[in-house]
Amino acid sequence: MQSWRGKSLWLALSASWLLILLRVFPLLRLAVPARPWASAPQGWPRWLDTELLPSFSQPGELPEDAPQPPQAPRGGGCDWGACFDASKCRTGGLKVFVHPVAGPISASHRKILASIESSRYHTASPEEACLLLFLSLEVPAGECSPVPQQWNGGRNHLVLDLHPAPCPQTFQLGRAMVAKASPTVDTFRPGFDVALPLLPEAHPLRGGAPGQLRQHSPHPGVPLLALAEERGGWRTAGTDPSTCPWDGRCEQDRGPEQTHPGGTLPNATFCLIPGHRPDALHFLQALQAGCIPVLLSPRWELPFSEVIDWTKAAIVADERLPFQVLAALQEMPLTRVLALRQQTQFLWDAYFSSVEKVMHTTLEIIQDRIFGASAHASLLWNSPPGALLALPTFSTSLSDFPFYHLQWGSRPVGRFSALIWVGAPGQPPLKLIQAVAGSQNCAQVSDRFFPHRAISTDAILSLDAHSSVTTSEVDFAFLVWQSFPERMVGFLTWNHFWDEAQGGWGYTAERANEFSMVLTSAAFYHRYYHTLFTHSLPKALRTLADETPTCVDILMNFLVAAVTKLPPIKVPYGKQHFEATPPLVPGGPEPQPTARDCINQMAAGFGYMPLVSSRLRLDPVLFKDPVSVLRKKYRSLEKP
Amino acid sequence: MGQVYLEREEEAACVIMCASVKYNIRGPALIPRMKSKHRIYYITLFSIVLLGLIATGMFQFWPHSIESSSDWSVEKRSVRDVPVVRLPADSPIPERGDLSCRMHTCFDVYRCGFNPKNKIKVYIYSLKKYVDDFGVPVSNTISREYNELLTAISDSDYYTDDISRACLFVPSIDVLNQNTLRIKETAQALAQLSRWDRGTNHLLFNMLPGGPPDYNTALDVPRDRALLAGGGFSTWTYRQGYDVSIPVYSPLSAEVELPEKGPGPRRYFLLSSQPAVHPEYREDLEALQARHGEAVLVLDKCTNLSEGVLSVRRRCHKHQVFDYPQVLQEATFCVVLRGARLGQAVLSDVLRAGCVPVVIADSYVLPFSEVLDWKRASVVVPEEKMSEAYSILQSIPQRQIEEMQRQARWFWEAYFQSIKAIALATLQIINDRIYPYAALSYEEWNDPPTVKRGSVSNPLFLPLIPPQSQGFTAIVLTYDRVESLFRVITEVSKVPSLSKLLVVWNNQNKNPPEDSLWPKIRVPLKVVRTAENKLSNRFFPYDEIETEAVLAIDDDIIMLTSDELQFGYEVWREFPDRLVGYPGRLHLWDHEMNKWKYESEWTNEVSMVLTGAAFYHKYFNYLYTYKMPGDIKNWVDAHMNCEDIAMNFLVANVTGKAVIKVTPRKKFKCPECTAIDGLSLDQTHMVERSECINKFASVFGTMPLKVVEHRADPVLYKDDFPEKLKSFPNIGSL
Repeated sequence: MQSWRGKSLWLALSASWLLILLRVFPLLRLAVPARPWASAPQGWPRWLDTELLPSFSQPGELPEDAPQPPQAPRGGGCDWGACFDASKCRTGGLKVFVHPVAGPISASHRKILASIESSRYHTASPEEACLLLFLSLEVPAGECSPVPQQWNGGRNHLVLDLHPAPCPQTFQLGRAMVAKASPTVDTFRPGFDVALPLLPEAHPLRGGAPGQLRQHSPHPGVPLLALAEERGGWRTAGTDPSTCPWDGRCEQDRGPEQTHPGGTLPNATFCLIPGHRPDALHFLQALQAGCIPVLLSPRWELPFSEVIDWTKAAIVADERLPFQVLAALQEMPLTRVLALRQQTQFLWDAYFSSVEKVMHTTLEIIQDRIFGASAHASLLWNSPPGALLALPTFSTSLSDFPFYHLQWGSRPVGRFSALIWVGAPGQPPLKLIQAVAGSQNCAQVSDRFFPHRAISTDAILSLDAHSSVTTSEVDFAFLVWQSFPERMVGFLTWNHFWDEAQGGWGYTAERANEFSMVLTSAAFYHRYYHTLFTHSLPKALRTLADETPTCVDILMNFLVAAVTKLPPIKVPYGKQHFEATPPLVPGGPEPQPTARDCINQMAAGFGYMPLVSSRLRLDPVLFKDPVSVLRKKYRSLEKP
Repeated sequence: MGQVYLEREEEAACVIMCASVKYNIRGPALIPRMKSKHRIYYITLFSIVLLGLIATGMFQFWPHSIESSSDWSVEKRSVRDVPVVRLPADSPIPERGDLSCRMHTCFDVYRCGFNPKNKIKVYIYSLKKYVDDFGVPVSNTISREYNELLTAISDSDYYTDDISRACLFVPSIDVLNQNTLRIKETAQALAQLSRWDRGTNHLLFNMLPGGPPDYNTALDVPRDRALLAGGGFSTWTYRQGYDVSIPVYSPLSAEVELPEKGPGPRRYFLLSSQPAVHPEYREDLEALQARHGEAVLVLDKCTNLSEGVLSVRRRCHKHQVFDYPQVLQEATFCVVLRGARLGQAVLSDVLRAGCVPVVIADSYVLPFSEVLDWKRASVVVPEEKMSEAYSILQSIPQRQIEEMQRQARWFWEAYFQSIKAIALATLQIINDRIYPYAALSYEEWNDPPTVKRGSVSNPLFLPLIPPQSQGFTAIVLTYDRVESLFRVITEVSKVPSLSKLLVVWNNQNKNPPEDSLWPKIRVPLKVVRTAENKLSNRFFPYDEIETEAVLAIDDDIIMLTSDELQFGYEVWREFPDRLVGYPGRLHLWDHEMNKWKYESEWTNEVSMVLTGAAFYHKYFNYLYTYKMPGDIKNWVDAHMNCEDIAMNFLVANVTGKAVIKVTPRKKFKCPECTAIDGLSLDQTHMVERSECINKFASVFGTMPLKVVEHRADPVLYKDDFPEKLKSFPNIGSL
């Protein structure tokens, strides 16, 4: 019993000790002033005397910053402001002179020269020029091209260097800019030098192969990764991270894979490209193939990085984190993959597919630097149709161009101008003017040939004196044009075809199930195409169009199709008896031989056939439906 | 802070629980042969003692776990009380900065490890006071701004207190202003940081680099491989892709209230507000003023101010006194001229005033130029061309100027406004370099929020006409109308471009017919069984869909001809980013009821197509299933209606484009199948559909549908032309 009592005592004692521990000590603890807990997670402390801390700069010190005289550029380094004299360009516009090349030149150099000569910036006199281009030649190793005359310390010079093995730095650059293929990041001077793509020898002069992308989203069966191989080919690889597909050292099972010989384009969603400079060639291949380039710590500057936002088309990742990169690629949201893929194609077609595009882009970048504030906005460079086709001289406001309305979900407002060309002086086409002016959307009627300044509206209705259109046809066509402001909307159509017998392109005005051109004798289009027609087309093509009137139609259609990559739009036309051939060309529905030549010369001038065929016509919603005529808005369109 | 302690509390609870559990298991083994009465006693006693011991052990943690209030969790100390570190005169000095550093050479990316959230972890060294051998402090312990900066980092998602998990280290040694520190000793202080390791992955913030007489454009403190977030970099010292160019913070941002002023023409065209300008530049500016009169205003510091007026806040022109920075709001363009340093705090003031900065500082690397498009908010004029500045500015159209003013103000709000904004933008830039696939886009950095909301971004923006050979996949949603379904399958299989047929069997109670009973067709036919009878199943992105084009078709649509369907596919190829359907519908604004109304009358306009038969890109299935805003998907499944209206809204909202209605088709109901209860059914149907439109419009926050007045017909439709020569002679009727 005693023991029992003793035990109870012990129990009670221990219990009360525990109670004290639990209850009293914390109270005591609270009474003790807080001591900072040594390893407790804290973040940055809130100091008691935050308010008393001094500012990093004393009032007065900032604005009173000691004045300093103007400084000359240091260390021989150059940047745009210090080494380029833009005043000459600002007064006379960018004019480019190419130093004559002494000695034999290679085919690729010839292409470069030809493409610069075809540029609207080219000039034949060095006095007029504000940019002098110097082509660095392929010379035996160790030697360098001689410094040209009028070198002038390299001032306002651009040295073009397209070869991966550059001339050693013995060449005194002076103040010259360097446009080099895939320059190393260490020597590249941003905002001054221009990074060019590393082009293969056989790159076409103009036109160029179109992008390989045939569909927007990757086909479900396509492998995720292709890997650039040293010998120039591509290897598609499985995506199992344990096999580290791009590391030659791990010789484990690489999963299903295929090796493709060099020259073929990769067929995968992502293309892994190692960072060494020779691999830059793979970059363009991936771009053309619509395979999203994944660059592993590139040691070279991406082409035209000054203006092209590569984050929209490629992924630059750290080669030291391969598994992370792989995981990120596998988990990339579909929306991003779609956007990247499409951007690769757009960039390829806009800036890289031909030598001409590459050179014109180079000049356009320099032009942009001269323009300063009124240069291309980033959006113009990085969304279709690209900066070579959207000229900032036309307008700096994006809504003045035909291309961006649909991207923004808006439509052009305002009315249209009718433009009637009258071939020979004679009776003014009064009936036509009456019909057109009857449209409430018509803002002005003018009868001059391409009077840029006089046209104040975005839309132009181009007519010739022999056209006959009704007011309601014009109204409906204008409404359709507002929905498709970047395309031509016309009444009469032609179709082009490949003529096996003649071995060339042909076209026909016969009515068919397809069409690819609309006649400018009755068509709506955006006023910007006048600017583009005059400023971006090669002179030779415009001369051709001037000589053969039929060619104007073809050239205009070529131009719009090359810019939009889309077919024109046909709207219903009441006059069934109207002959689709322009009245200026007498003869039957078959165009004359000269006109047939025209389409082939155009195709040669563009380097490819840009026309796209369409199989549809846009009609009013109730067109020729067996419903009450009173319901229909465009009744008169249906009159026979 | 509170959260951290909560975790610890749980930890403590676990220790107690785990321990008692252990005891209970082991108890019988420890005291095996005791009488049960004694056993209970000993067990109780033992557990009490054990609990007591544990409680004592946990003693240290108690106050923290009981007190979750901030008083206990946040350290309240004075900066004067921080530990003092004595730097011996011969302690190591880091190498000078390596100009060839790039992320892939000097940055240890392994420390950033794999992080599913794609966010770097930043550690901040604790604050110390550094003194030399003689006890003389190396620098001011910390400035108000640097304290703010570290607080901002510490409060952000980037912060970690675990030095071993950190990817980026920020010393608490304040180097914002080079003039307030001793260069060699500061460098020694940096070198003795616990994880310094030649400065790898260390980030220093500096706003005022250099000192007299030559004012270097980068911090002179030797720092080896450390990254430098510097204000006032020139192209010669800036390591592209490694350093970050940051603004020089203007203390006026916090001190002065300045209500926003919208863009538009202002009193002065060009204003120069900097008081200390080199005489040569001042001459140029005054020449400009002389030439252009009232339009140009050149201010200087005031010399004749009475005592007590802050001279920082006043500027003078001759005897006229102006308030600074208020005067900046009176000008369209404001000169930001370099002084001894390239980076000037006035840039921040100018942007805030919505004045377009005219930056005259050759080779200056503008703040955050790696991500910000300064062409949209500023004009850069070479120093040599200062006299031409006026004419350069004059050539900018008014519309563009207003755009630039808006952009300037937005840059200030987003990236200049506070030390916090500067710190977070800097970390974001470094984060973007390390996780480039998760980086912010150009638009996210540069577009003001108003633009971001208003713009659509078409996911299929590339003009591309898919090849005809690809064909389309028809998806038939069915419940149990097998007979009608088989007729649809037979009809659709006649369309030349059909490449696969997918039947979505939405009936969970009934099995689909046996394989042998299905019609034999020339293309693969797959049956997908669903888990639930939901309308949304029609728009699920099934793996079986291999083509881009999808034809959604109901199991009772047997009236469409093969020509009609083939033509629909051809039209889709020309408009792959749109919904291409047959009967069109319209939404109208009902002025009486003040809401949207659904219209199925035969009108001249169209804004929707029915998806009882419609072609669209399969990507929209993905969007519908995973990216449909709000509760629209559930609403559709609950109401068993309006999935087509939802699809029309979704596509129009993301592409900003109208639908394409093809062929004259106006309705799906065949003449012979009359509705059971025609009129009333029709009316409730219309009410329900109108309700859907209003509901969706409120969820989308806008009415995305676009009204058009055209439809697509074959080129020779109803033309006077031999029918047999037409590609699509049998285009069907209404």
